[in-house]
Amino acid sequence: MSISVLQAVLLGILYWIGEANLPFVGLWTIQRPLVCGWIAGIILGDALTGAMVGASINLVYLGFISAGGSMPADMALAGTLGATYAITGGLDADTALALAVPIGILGTLVWYARMTLDSIFVHVGDRFVEKEQYNRIWISNVLLPQIMAAVICIIPCSLAAYFGAAYIQDFVEMLSGTPLKIFQIIGGLMPALGIAITLQYIFKGESRVFLFFGFVVAVYSGLGLLPLGVIALLIALIYVQLAYKHGNDKSSIAQDAELEEDF
Amino acid sequence: MAEENKIKHVIPKKALYHAAFNWETWVQCCYNYERMMGMACGHTFVPVINYLYKDDPDGAAKRKEVMEREMEFFNVHIEFGSCILGMAIALEEQKSLGEPIPGDFITSLKTSLMGPLAGIGDTIYQGVLIPILLAICIDITLTGTVWGSIAYLILMLAISYVFSFANFFFGYQQGSDAIMDFLEKGVLDKLLLGAQVMGCMVMGGLIANYVTCKCGLEIVTSGSTFNVQETLFDAVMPKILPLGFTMLVYWLMKKRWTSIKIIILIVVIGVVGGLTGILTA
Repeated sequence: MSISVLQAVLLGILYWIGEANLPFVGLWTIQRPLVCGWIAGIILGDALTGAMVGASINLVYLGFISAGGSMPADMALAGTLGATYAITGGLDADTALALAVPIGILGTLVWYARMTLDSIFVHVGDRFVEKEQYNRIWISNVLLPQIMAAVICIIPCSLAAYFGAAYIQDFVEMLSGTPLKIFQIIGGLMPALGIAITLQYIFKGESRVFLFFGFVVAVYSGLGLLPLGVIALLIALIYVQLAYKHGNDKSSIAQDAELEEDF
Repeated sequence: MAEENKIKHVIPKKALYHAAFNWETWVQCCYNYERMMGMACGHTFVPVINYLYKDDPDGAAKRKEVMEREMEFFNVHIEFGSCILGMAIALEEQKSLGEPIPGDFITSLKTSLMGPLAGIGDTIYQGVLIPILLAICIDITLTGTVWGSIAYLILMLAISYVFSFANFFFGYQQGSDAIMDFLEKGVLDKLLLGAQVMGCMVMGGLIANYVTCKCGLEIVTSGSTFNVQETLFDAVMPKILPLGFTMLVYWLMKKRWTSIKIIILIVVIGVVGGLTGILTA
């Protein structure tokens, strides 16, 4: 299945909104493959496949943290193009995931280009302050950097979506057999990365045992993550209540375990 | 800032809401290496700046001084740091009313608060809240519905805006003393401990549900086939390989492996395991 030029441009715009943090905190929402995969699915006329592929891809980027202007992977591009290729090429989620991860690494180029080029507009903003035209600061803070971001986001993403979709099917046919199996194995292993990154932040001190507790409960009960999340929330409440029952003696432990590393 | 019961305000509520909206919405539109969120901070001051030094004959120059000060380098976690913006506006307001607050004091207070709040914010927001919410919503979506995506989008927007606005007004009304107080009190420890416990449990469930790693080896001995995955690993505990692999990745990251290195490792394992048949899909 090939896609129309209009669809390709819409996918580019989707990537721009997710990547450039335009309105409505795109950083926390549209940037996530769970969300942008779904919207890519809507653009291509198969919202459910888009959402499900996006959800699988998002497992890799669960705890990816962008702090101090760094960006370990461009999940907006991985989600948008991953869902696009899955729908147009009829890929399964694991294969789409293995394809999306390298795309995400490539996409960080756009983020770093943007962070660098945006410095120009700061000086435009300084000029507005110099002339006391405070009402025009939005031009330097929003309008100009977003036009620049639109150029560096929409063009590559639209091209990749348009031409990628045309060739993805041939590519997958070429891969069938052992290569496709390898893609699936890689796609199955990748979520471990997202979980391990999240664990860097929470797998500490007394809470360690609860990872194995949650694992065992999930393996033997087959519970979904929503009921498991509710149980986890209640257990966390009980645990904190018990830990703080005898005055403040626990607080220092939690503090040691958590705060020191992140400053 | 000395907290008195009767503090005079010159900035109307509406302008403050506009300022908080400017912060939360446009904060990363011009994110850059030179000043990070500096200009977004200036943009936040735009709705309120003209209420300051209104009756001062020298007002224009003083307003410019405020804006120049607020355009300086600034970087913080968006939602957790919005109290700093509220606090800075309150301080500039009191300064404009004649309180003896040096401009440098405001800048250094902002700078000293942004480190701790960025650290806590990134940990709680990106390390705990988002992964848990994502994990649950991904699970819902993968049962075959788009509602997981929609629920995540709406919940995340609501949480971000409500928390950012509330935190902004907390900073504006309570000032720097209250922010310091919060940073030192035990509330935060309780929150972090609870978040860690809940987060770890959900991550355990995620490993069981979504990491796949199966051994494809079969040992054929005189008529009977010994399937390593079924007879060995599944007998010990189902999903033991995914758990082991996740802990290996965790350990490697503790050893300062970057995520790109891990991705390369996973690709190598996939290629070698797939070609030799040790691993199967």
